[in-house]
Amino acid sequence: MKNLIPNLNLSKDQIKKLALSTMGFIVLLYVYFSFFLGPLNKSHQTMQASINDLQKKVAGSKNEMAKATNLEKQASAATTRYAALTNASPEGAPIAWFPPRMKIFFSNLQIDKTTARLENSVAYKEADLSGWMRYNWMLDLPQTDFATLGKAVAELENTEPLLSINRINIHATTEDPQFQQVALTVSTAILKR
Amino acid sequence: MALHLNLLHEEIQEQRQRQRDPLKIGMMVLGGLGALMFLYYMWNAYQALGVRSQLSKVQQTWSTVEPKVTAAQKRSAELNGIISTTKVLDGMIESRFFWAPFLEKLSRCVALNAQITSVDGTVLDDNRGVSVMIEGLAAGREPRAAAEELRQLLLEQLGQSYHEVKIEFKTLEDLDTLVKIGGANMAMARFSLNATFNPSAVVAKATPAPARSSKK
Repeated sequence: MKNLIPNLNLSKDQIKKLALSTMGFIVLLYVYFSFFLGPLNKSHQTMQASINDLQKKVAGSKNEMAKATNLEKQASAATTRYAALTNASPEGAPIAWFPPRMKIFFSNLQIDKTTARLENSVAYKEADLSGWMRYNWMLDLPQTDFATLGKAVAELENTEPLLSINRINIHATTEDPQFQQVALTVSTAILKR
Repeated sequence: MALHLNLLHEEIQEQRQRQRDPLKIGMMVLGGLGALMFLYYMWNAYQALGVRSQLSKVQQTWSTVEPKVTAAQKRSAELNGIISTTKVLDGMIESRFFWAPFLEKLSRCVALNAQITSVDGTVLDDNRGVSVMIEGLAAGREPRAAAEELRQLLLEQLGQSYHEVKIEFKTLEDLDTLVKIGGANMAMARFSLNATFNPSAVVAKATPAPARSSKK
């Protein structure tokens, strides 16, 4: 090398050419890395990141589907129970079906002339019950004896799980003390339709 | 010493000069490097193509899986909603106060010489218990004692199923009227009892009232 450099004896023209070559080399490197290899590597990395992301999603989706399947199995009792509870709320406005239902219910237990009046309806505060409404009713049983009333109340409490009696008022009738007048204030949870 | 003349000296010198042309050498080096870089680029491009085909495969897999996952997530949310709603509804159902067992106990406490004329019961808000106002008549040689007997019996009966049972007389007054029981005239007293209790500690199950008729 040492021998080569002194022998080079570069002329001005040659130095110019050498400088031009060096500049050309730098430009080549710039163009190569900026416009060819750089974008290629960038797209390579982007695609690799997309692949990783999608693979994570696919793996996660398997877990998600497994969870859903397990949940479906675990929730079978809850869904059956929920279906039974929602079936207690027929289609249509409650004012249309609840009073006749109570009238039939009590008449089947030998308590006639039952009337049901809607007092009010309010939404539940619980977020889980956003699809349900609380209806407050007044049930008037104008004439019944105590034993029949007891059986009817037990039957009502057992067959209507979403109904709760909040107030009960029993008064002996003045004409016949064997019979009583009864007023029940009840509330029911009814699914919004 | 023989004279040695190199007549081609100038031509050889020019040829050497041409061979040592830095521009030419530079261009050759540049060409070589360019070729290497081109090969490296091609290698990278080939790898990128492989990654692209892998990406398209993964995307295809994801496009088939995604609707199922979305449906599964939707179903999970729905099921969670059902579970929590059912839990809240079950809580409401379980925390109800059942009046039928109470009425049964009340009917058991009323003796032949007593008559209940009015029962007014209310479930207090926020699980604060139940309040019942009972009005009636008691007859006997000592009508007040008969009323007290009813109160004691009711206290005992309700105490078996409920907590914090309190039964107090609101009023207890003698009446002027007499009533005939078993052929004997008995004095009467009117009473008014206020019963309060907390059913939440012991959950009573609703059972049909017994077949026996009450004295009401």
